[in-house]
Amino acid sequence: MKILEEKRLNIFLDKLGKQAQLFDVRESILPPKRYFFPSREITFTFDKKSKSLSSQKAPKDFILFGISLKDLEAITYLDEIMQKPARDDFYFNKRDKSILIGLTGKEFNVAPGGDIILRKLKNDEYEVVVVTKKGEKFLKRLDFPFTCLPAGKEEKDRVEYKISKSKTMVELHGLLSDPELLHDAVKWSWQGYPEIWDKLAGECLNCGICTYVCPLCHCFSVEDEMDLSGDECRRCRKWDACTLPEFAKVAGGIGRPGHSFHKGVKERYYNWFYHKFVRGYLEFGKSQCVTCGRCKKYCPARIDIEEVLLEIMNRFKKIKN
Amino acid sequence: MQNIYEPIPVKIQKIEIYSGDVKLFRMAKLDGSPFPLNQNGLVFVPGQFVLAGLWGYGESPFGPASHPNDSSCIEVVVRKVGQVTSALHSLEEGDELTLRGPYGNGYPIDFFREKDVILITGGCGIPPIASLVEYIISNRSDFGEVNLLYGATTPEDLLMKERMNEWKRRINVTLTVDKPACNWDGNTGFVTDCLEHLKINSANTVVAMCGPGPMVDAIENLLNPMGIPDRRIFVSMERKMQCGVGRCQHCVCGDKYVCVDGPVFNLDEIDKAWDK
Ligand SMILES: Cc1cc2nc3c(=O)[nH]c(=O)nc-3n(C[C@H](O)[C@H](O)[C@H](O)COP(=O)(O)OP(=O)(O)OC[C@H]3O[C@@H](n4cnc5c(N)ncnc54)[C@H](O)[C@@H]3O)c2cc1C
Ligand code: SF4
Ligand code: SF4
Ligand code: FES
Repeated sequence: MKILEEKRLNIFLDKLGKQAQLFDVRESILPPKRYFFPSREITFTFDKKSKSLSSQKAPKDFILFGISLKDLEAITYLDEIMQKPARDDFYFNKRDKSILIGLTGKEFNVAPGGDIILRKLKNDEYEVVVVTKKGEKFLKRLDFPFTCLPAGKEEKDRVEYKISKSKTMVELHGLLSDPELLHDAVKWSWQGYPEIWDKLAGECLNCGICTYVCPLCHCFSVEDEMDLSGDECRRCRKWDACTLPEFAKVAGGIGRPGHSFHKGVKERYYNWFYHKFVRGYLEFGKSQCVTCGRCKKYCPARIDIEEVLLEIMNRFKKIKN
Repeated sequence: MQNIYEPIPVKIQKIEIYSGDVKLFRMAKLDGSPFPLNQNGLVFVPGQFVLAGLWGYGESPFGPASHPNDSSCIEVVVRKVGQVTSALHSLEEGDELTLRGPYGNGYPIDFFREKDVILITGGCGIPPIASLVEYIISNRSDFGEVNLLYGATTPEDLLMKERMNEWKRRINVTLTVDKPACNWDGNTGFVTDCLEHLKINSANTVVAMCGPGPMVDAIENLLNPMGIPDRRIFVSMERKMQCGVGRCQHCVCGDKYVCVDGPVFNLDEIDKAWDK
């Protein structure tokens, strides 16, 4: 078993930085999706003079260090989303160039993704868990002098699986284990419990922050830009948010104002839930949430999706029984 | 493999001015090669859409109006309403633009075979219906009685009048306007009025529609009592579109993606959507 002592973490990071561009994501508010699906990226550039079209170039290798297990799980899921129904080249051009190094606190003991995971043990040490072939190759090339423990010793030293109630969305995590029930309950709630959506419509500020910070949200819009000379046209893809008022708005005819298919906050906010827990389940067999808690933490209106879902679920169970 | 978002360059072969704010654009591939065919031997299935775009301005969805067997060109009818459509209107013959698609599902032409077909459209909804008419006429003996009902505000707003004269020889065409002009010899009133006067064999009739939501609702309310259930009524849905490939989420309607599962749906599928 390979061991990295916590006091040697900085040396390890230095060495990583020499291998490829290194992003330390331990403290970041925005989820790691932004390294593969940036908030704004130029997808195509068209030169009007030469009539030539160039597409985004693949980046150089890069390393994301310190990804939480929930974010690793989200990336694995986003990989699936970006593969269906057709492969998203812009995402995979970057994704294929990345090495993901996860970092676990005293949380889970299952590795849901990533290439390498540093798993915390007692004694301020990390076990270096190699998850993928890509990770294995990378470590070989890195040639870092890890401490080696004899096999068998790890079991005794591993920190027990434990999540503290205050930090993680424990109950939501439980709900997610039955995504079909969650699907049924959320779908039922639109007509069965409209009061909750009316209430949330009064609270939500349509700011879109919950979707920007969510490691799974991936709505986007496409906009063209021109340089000052007017010769170079750039097609940009930008994060969008289904909670924003313009999201489902189309142009009207002459004399007809634009029309939005999700006209109110209520429809838009419900659509966000509907995507995560109803449509997402139908498409992928699971809910589009990994309980990272960011949406709750950064929502300026303090909307807590765990509370909302529990409320819906309690009501749903009462009515169905 | 081509990037799914990368459009192909095309050239405007011909522009026809239909009215102050509506033009038809006939587009051909830059190198003159034909557009690829699908399994049915068609360039697109009537009702499918393409994303036509102009570098620097963006892309917008349009339902092609041309003959789906004609691989030399794709025609779109564009009503000027905003940024992309205004930019398209400023172009001239010979100018270049871009195309992606065809995307989505069109009208289920195999299901329509051997049946009587009622085509209903209003205002600017004619393009996909026009390509469906062209298909039906080319395979006329495969279909029973075919009726086209087309309504517009004034006679000037009725598009494709020349093609309509050709169609009249092979199918029944009923035109109607809200505000008749002095030289108008067609009907006055809504398409719903014309529908009420049609004699139909409801057990073997399918309906294809493309038009504004309120028109679709009004017609659904008429057809159901006439014995045509929602699952035999096909409409082209309108939604905002961006990616066209089922990822960006702009076009969703309940469980469906209009860009991938539609834009043509039978009313039964859509009725269950919470945001229909
Ligand atoms: C399946 C389908 C087929 C269509 N067929 C035709 C047709 O044959 N002829 C025709 O004139 N119009 C058609 N439309 C409507 C046409 O797409 C819009 O009028 C056009 O997108 C408006 O773009 P704009 O840039 O001029 O408007 P803006 O308001 O500047 O819109 C900016 C962007 O929003 C999106 N958008 C705005 N309005 C619509 C809309 N109504 N539908 C979808 N996306 C929209 C587009 O991505 C557009 O690029 C169709 C729409 C759909 C969904
Ligand atoms: S972050 Fe909160 S206020 Fe902003 S859109 Fe999301 S739920 Fe609404
Ligand atoms: S907790 Fe919120 S931000 Fe995190 S995955 Fe779930 S929905 Fe997204
Ligand atoms: S247009 Fe993007 S999902 Fe349909």
